[in-house]
Amino acid sequence: MSTDKTDKKELLSGTLDLLILKTLDTMGALHGYAIARRLEQMSASVMRLSQGSIYPALIRLEQNGWIATKWGISETNRKVKIYSLTRAGTKRLQIEVANWEQATALVARVLGAKA
Amino acid sequence: MTPRRLLHRLLALGRQGRLDRELDDEVQAHLELAERDALARGLSPDEARAEARRAFGGIAQMKEVHRDGRSARWLENLARDVRYGVASLRREPVFTLVAVSVLALGIGANTAMFSLVDGILFQPLPFPNPDRIVRIWESPTPDTSNSTTTSTFEELQRRSRSFAALSAESESTATVPINGEPTRLTGRYVSADHFAVFGVQPLIGRNFRPEEDRAGAARVVILSHAAWQQHFGGDRGILDRDLLLDDEPYKVIGVLPPGAFDRHSSRPLVDPASFWRLNAFTPEERAASSHWLNPIGRLKPGVSLAQAQADVLAVRSQIAGQIPAWKQDWSMKVEPFDELLVGDRLRQSIYLALGAVVLVLLIACANITSLLLGRSAARRKEMAVRVALGAGRGRLAAQLLTETLVLGALGGAAGVGLAVFLIQLAVPLVPAMPFTAEVALNWRVLAFAVAMVLAVSVLVGVLPAIRVSTGSAVVALNQAGRGSSGVNDRARRLIVAAEVAVSVILICGAFLLFKSLGRLQQVDIGARIDRVVTMSVDLPYERYPSGHHLAAFYPMLIERLQAVPGVESAAIAGDVPLEGTGGENLRMPGRDERLLVRFKRADAAYFSTLGIPVIAGRGFTPEDRIGTPYVVVVNEGLARRLRDRFGVTNPIGATVDLPALGFGRDRRAEMTIVGVIGNERVDGDLRRPASEIAYVPLAQAPRMQVKLAVRTRGDALAVVPAIREAVRQLDPRLALADIHTMEEIWGRSLSGLREPVWLIGIFALVSVLLAGIGLYGVLSHAVAQQRREIGIRMALGARAHDVLSLVARNTLTMVILGLGAGLAGAFVLTRVTGSLLFEVSARDPWAFVAGAIGMGLVAMVAALVPARRASRVDPTLALRSDG
Repeated sequence: MSTDKTDKKELLSGTLDLLILKTLDTMGALHGYAIARRLEQMSASVMRLSQGSIYPALIRLEQNGWIATKWGISETNRKVKIYSLTRAGTKRLQIEVANWEQATALVARVLGAKA
Repeated sequence: MTPRRLLHRLLALGRQGRLDRELDDEVQAHLELAERDALARGLSPDEARAEARRAFGGIAQMKEVHRDGRSARWLENLARDVRYGVASLRREPVFTLVAVSVLALGIGANTAMFSLVDGILFQPLPFPNPDRIVRIWESPTPDTSNSTTTSTFEELQRRSRSFAALSAESESTATVPINGEPTRLTGRYVSADHFAVFGVQPLIGRNFRPEEDRAGAARVVILSHAAWQQHFGGDRGILDRDLLLDDEPYKVIGVLPPGAFDRHSSRPLVDPASFWRLNAFTPEERAASSHWLNPIGRLKPGVSLAQAQADVLAVRSQIAGQIPAWKQDWSMKVEPFDELLVGDRLRQSIYLALGAVVLVLLIACANITSLLLGRSAARRKEMAVRVALGAGRGRLAAQLLTETLVLGALGGAAGVGLAVFLIQLAVPLVPAMPFTAEVALNWRVLAFAVAMVLAVSVLVGVLPAIRVSTGSAVVALNQAGRGSSGVNDRARRLIVAAEVAVSVILICGAFLLFKSLGRLQQVDIGARIDRVVTMSVDLPYERYPSGHHLAAFYPMLIERLQAVPGVESAAIAGDVPLEGTGGENLRMPGRDERLLVRFKRADAAYFSTLGIPVIAGRGFTPEDRIGTPYVVVVNEGLARRLRDRFGVTNPIGATVDLPALGFGRDRRAEMTIVGVIGNERVDGDLRRPASEIAYVPLAQAPRMQVKLAVRTRGDALAVVPAIREAVRQLDPRLALADIHTMEEIWGRSLSGLREPVWLIGIFALVSVLLAGIGLYGVLSHAVAQQRREIGIRMALGARAHDVLSLVARNTLTMVILGLGAGLAGAFVLTRVTGSLLFEVSARDPWAFVAGAIGMGLVAMVAALVPARRASRVDPTLALRSDG
């Protein structure tokens, strides 16, 4: 393990799905690399994320029907999958966001009370 | 997991390859894009490629997570195990072929047998609440059942309180013109309530009406579905038509639904009923004392069998005053209908065959287990390597079990195919098949087959799987396939010993049954049955309205038949040998005692045509006819009985009192015994002792329904067309029916035993073969494993003979163990053949000798090849090879 990553935090489980959904919601249809880059840019200083780990998350989201894929051509002229949010995905995102806010509020309150 | 996701995961299973390729494409595109960006940031091409890969992370791990996430792992494993199993079975085609055929044999035979059991024993009668249907019998003694009289039946109808519906059944035949051809059909006389007893409504038309079985009611008839289809082309217009039954018009009012009533009755050689007409009792029938009706009833809801029995007995005691003194001590009984359909002997044969077939399956399983153990010993090294490389033992065991399951599925599929064939083969062979039975490969039978495949696979596969997955990897690797595992060998030896034991039991059982069949075939019929063809003729009342008409017809018919080329002699009688005949009470004048004897009408040519010897006095002559003194001929059995019972030392000239069965009259008369003849067998059941029979001249007791017996010079059946023509010339409206050779009838009388005997015989043969194969397998495996040892011994001076004795010892331990257990088992188990045996003891010592010798011979043959192979081991080659 390289030492330069020790200060970065492991991604909280489940948050990767939420982040991908949110990214697709804001940016529209993207291919895998673009999603990975975007996540990296947003979180580069805070989180440790290998780009490859988004693919298992993508197939999971696709199988749940929250994102859809179609085939497109990349900037390097290669066949790539383009991912976009479905209506079910939009709804899911709202739920996930609400859940997240509830959870963080709760955690903050508990931590605040203790402090 | 959402159902949608589960579905996707299952779908993903089927397209692993494509999904993997797509993922590869995506990864490739991702890396290219990352590399391009890195180049744009100013890195060198090499640095850019390295940076792209670093940022991506572990590709292989990601793919693994991807694959795990997208599909169901265990299913994937299963699919892989199945593929692996199929591949490994294909690598060993001989093993696979042997194992699949052995399994197919076992599963096929069991499936076929189960379909018989299911159809005959488990399936309820195809009627609503079949357990409510009962038969009512008179019982002269507790063990015998008899039909009842018209008056007793009518009293039952009037006085009993237990029955929702009650019908009196009796057989009836009629000659019916079908497409201009007189055809004799079998039918029934029944009461108007008959189909209410069964809860069956006609398919088209209507049922009998309650008022229709009163005297003088309209003549109506209901047809069976089979007869409607076969004789009337399924024409619905039949309902408006009149049908001539023996020249009398009957209105067809209904046709029954297909199924139950189209199948054969429980009596062999009797056709299923084609029609049902009503019993409208005449005053004469009411007054007559003949026992001709078989009551059948449906119990009212809530009435138990015991209550019905008590009810019937109460009726019987209420009418005791009407019953003749000599029948006062008779009783009556009520029996469930389904019990009667499946005769005790058929039930026993089925259970016996089922037991045998299960034993065969067990042997088949044992053999396969043995084969698998042998195989797993050879694969120990492979398994050990895999364990050493980190494969889970559970996974290995699961994989081995899956392989067995594939084997079981193949065997099961082949077995079900075999079962279809076996069912076709077996159904016509089953004697006395009840008319309700429907034997077919239905879903219950298929479910049974599937359950059997699973059970067999687990039974067969568990031991080898446990062996492999628990064996020590280190030991296996060190042994390097040199020696065999002692535990494995012991298990295989025990299995073979068990196979030997089971085979011995089956040989003993088969021996006893074959011996019984032989004894039964040797029973003296008392008549010559070669080249004799028999048939029945019904002379309708309308054209033969008196005994004189009948008596005049018989000699004319005989004269015509004698003139037919190829006919040696022809006779007419009430019944032919082995097909049963009535019974009557015989009295000696001045004595009150009655003797129940069999009673048969015969013409002058009967004894000579059937080769029944006249021992004393004379047979009948054409002079014994209406108007001449009544004469009787008795058989040896009756002559002996008369001597023992009444002290008649010379029966010739003695006088007996018998019913003089004049046409339509029923009175008794004194008759003179004029002759004694040999014991003719009148009953189909040859196990019973010969009957005591009184014969009267047909002309003095004329009957409308008679049998012809024709002895021919050549092939018996070849003259049938000429006989038919001769009868047509005499009366074109007469129909010949029930055309069978005497040999056929004799064959049928053996049928209760012949089929189970062959069945058990075949099972015994198969099991002995399987045991032989098992023995051979173990021995050749042992020889192969001990090549080094044998080689060393030979190098040290052992001779071929010493090596042979090594193999022989090996064989003997297994065989002696098996023989001991088998003979002990046979001693206990052959008793189940019980009533199927005839003049053979279930403990017949020869059976045990046969079992021991038969199995011993097979064991010797099985040991021969491995022994020869062992004695030819070349020490130099054996020592050089590493295993």
